[in-house]
Amino acid sequence: MTKYLLTRLRQSLITLFLVSVVVFAGIRALPGDPALAMAGEERSPAALAAIRQSYGLNDNIVVQYGRYIGHALTGDLGTSSRTGLPVADAIAAALPVTLELSALALLLAVVVGIGAGIVAAVRRGKPAEWFANAIALLGLSIPTFWLGMVLVLAFAIALPVFAASGYVPFGTDPLDNLRRMVLPAIVLGSGLAAVVMRQTRAAMLDSLSADYVRTARAKGLRRREVIGAHALRNSLVTVVTVLGLQLGHLISGAVVTEQIFVLPGFGKLTIDAVFTRDYATLQGVVLCTSAAYILINLLVDVLYSVIDPRIRLGGAK
Amino acid sequence: MTDTRPVRDGGTLTVALASDPDKLDPSLAQTLVGRTVFSSMCEKLYDIDEHGAVVPQLAAALPKTSKDGLTVTVQLRDGLKFSDGTSLDARSVVTSLLRHRDLPGSARATELAPLKSVAATGPYTVELKLRQPYTPLIGVLADRSGMVMSPTALKKYGKNFTNHPSCVGPFTFVERVGGDRIVLKKDPDYYDADKVHLDRLIYKPIPDGSVRLANLRSGDIQVGDQMTPVDVRSALTESKLQLFNSPSLGYQGIGLNVGNVKGTGEKPGKIDSPLARDVRVREAFELSIDRDVLNKVVFQGMYEPACGPVSPESAIAPGVPAAQCPKRDVAKARRLLKEAGVKTPVRIEFKVSTTPESSRVGQVVQAMAKEAGFDIELRPMEYATLLDETDAGHYDAFTSGWSGRLDPDGNIASFLKTQGAMNAYGLSDPKIDQLIAQGRAEADPVQRTKIYGELSQSVRDAHTLIYLYRQKNYIVATKSVSGIRVYGDGLVRVKTAGYTR
Repeated sequence: MTKYLLTRLRQSLITLFLVSVVVFAGIRALPGDPALAMAGEERSPAALAAIRQSYGLNDNIVVQYGRYIGHALTGDLGTSSRTGLPVADAIAAALPVTLELSALALLLAVVVGIGAGIVAAVRRGKPAEWFANAIALLGLSIPTFWLGMVLVLAFAIALPVFAASGYVPFGTDPLDNLRRMVLPAIVLGSGLAAVVMRQTRAAMLDSLSADYVRTARAKGLRRREVIGAHALRNSLVTVVTVLGLQLGHLISGAVVTEQIFVLPGFGKLTIDAVFTRDYATLQGVVLCTSAAYILINLLVDVLYSVIDPRIRLGGAK
Repeated sequence: MTDTRPVRDGGTLTVALASDPDKLDPSLAQTLVGRTVFSSMCEKLYDIDEHGAVVPQLAAALPKTSKDGLTVTVQLRDGLKFSDGTSLDARSVVTSLLRHRDLPGSARATELAPLKSVAATGPYTVELKLRQPYTPLIGVLADRSGMVMSPTALKKYGKNFTNHPSCVGPFTFVERVGGDRIVLKKDPDYYDADKVHLDRLIYKPIPDGSVRLANLRSGDIQVGDQMTPVDVRSALTESKLQLFNSPSLGYQGIGLNVGNVKGTGEKPGKIDSPLARDVRVREAFELSIDRDVLNKVVFQGMYEPACGPVSPESAIAPGVPAAQCPKRDVAKARRLLKEAGVKTPVRIEFKVSTTPESSRVGQVVQAMAKEAGFDIELRPMEYATLLDETDAGHYDAFTSGWSGRLDPDGNIASFLKTQGAMNAYGLSDPKIDQLIAQGRAEADPVQRTKIYGELSQSVRDAHTLIYLYRQKNYIVATKSVSGIRVYGDGLVRVKTAGYTR
């Protein structure tokens, strides 16, 4: 197990290095001169030259990368060219927002998705399955922006139970925090819940018709045990894979949700940085997101081996 | 517009801005939303009143200019305190003005270039020496160049002043979370503190107009800045919301490339396109556009059609009123194209930004120009890319706009003077250059109005920057708030705002 972990960790570090190179080069390949974007309305040649000088934009790209990675290794991700605020601070402020949003959305997706998936599989061909399928179809097809605005109109304006926007840290006021996070979590989690439901249903159907389930039933096990301990556990490998992949999508999906609910998270930070060609912020954000992706994949791989011991490296115990 | 219902003391006001302001450093700041934040914490030597006239703010009176126009004397109020507790005197003004002019990357450098030297001639008297007579100076000092920063804070924080701004204002800076909020609190040392009612002020960037409106409805914010016509229509149906508006000093239009071959501000060259070769083709293009229809179709008739660089609302030199703008004349446009001997349809690549409004302007212009014999290909582009392409001269036509300055010179010189810092069109016209110089040097208001009238006509005759409309600044606020002031510079002033009793 340790050997397996070490191998995966080494691979992850190499991936992270490659990602940093690609991100750095990719951002610079974007059309649009960052000095122009930074200079805003009043862009005289002298102002542009001063901006290029002060952000080291005149240097060779390799020199710029070396300088960036050198600073990044010491935790200094630079300062935003637009606001002048340290990028690390901006990320530190945005990260808890997106993490909480994603975690709540994930929780919602898992509870609703797996629950509905089991019901749909067990009650195959019955109204419960049609109902669960219809909800899943809606969850997949409703545009996020529309759902967000409708929920705001319904639950923040017509029936003011939740807040329409803003973020209050959980530590400051847990109740107010939830009042502001429930609607965004529903919006972000709805699509994922639908995907999870369909995956659970398909995997459960496979499992329910497998020989070992028939054997379990023949042994006289109770229905709950057959479904929970045998069929569901074996179906979870697929579901966990999907969840791992979708978690990345959650972070990118948060872009739209954060715009609707004015949450100061990663998505908003990224969009603002792209449009203002704020290299430092954009690099920092993409690097962190990539690191999160890699970490999640690593965790998923580890989880596999916990759920299904056959997946561990050959020879490992 | 102002609202004068009595208010009570205390409370927090949340103002939603259309975008996140850039640096909170008056020397480096570029954005209109940033100016709105500054209006609450960084006062200027001069300000404008509700009629658009310049009035003293940190200065005690309007400046005195010597007969030769080369020396300007500014008398300051005494007893002013910066938010860090230090006192404002003539030396602080000298420090700030020199920083605005000389700091590398300063966005104020161009407008303060005529400033030769500045000195404190008394504890509260500042003398500015100019390289040449420069009448727009007072308008410049009524904007960010007139903001005075605490020398102590500048010394302490240096480049990091943006994260610890300290000026004289009704509110002082508390914190900023990038992309989320800028928090200010009432400054008890402010000279006019008894007129300030709110305890705290929060500026929140909410880029999407419909989201700003939803938040106004739910009461999460109290003021929404820069509302679009569509959202304003919808806000008008709400009984608990009120609308403020003011005309804009800026303009929106279409820039045509007539000589930008090497880049903005560089020496113009020859471009071999029908638009660049023959002014008649450009006139035909302009004549094909109906400004009223454009305003009705794209902006629900809620903006103002425009055909010149200076707003008719300018208190300094009023421009052409909308009613006098040339009407659409397709027959004349076709005739001009025939006279010019160009092969029709004339192909034009029109670069527009990706905002819904900009795209709709493009589509309406495309449809109108087609009738006159133009084949317009729309190229929507994300804003930073559009800037890059147009500054480099890689375009035929693009959407060109400006938020506007108090003095007409600020709307004209940089854009239309030969090799002007923002002349992306490659325009070079000796008559325009001469009139710009005259307008800058002339001190007599009547003469200036005449010069800018003549200048606007010359600009129209060049048909290089086709002015189409002026946005109006629409601000929606909840009725529970009073004391908000919105003037012609488009800023939301909340110094006297508060919750109604």
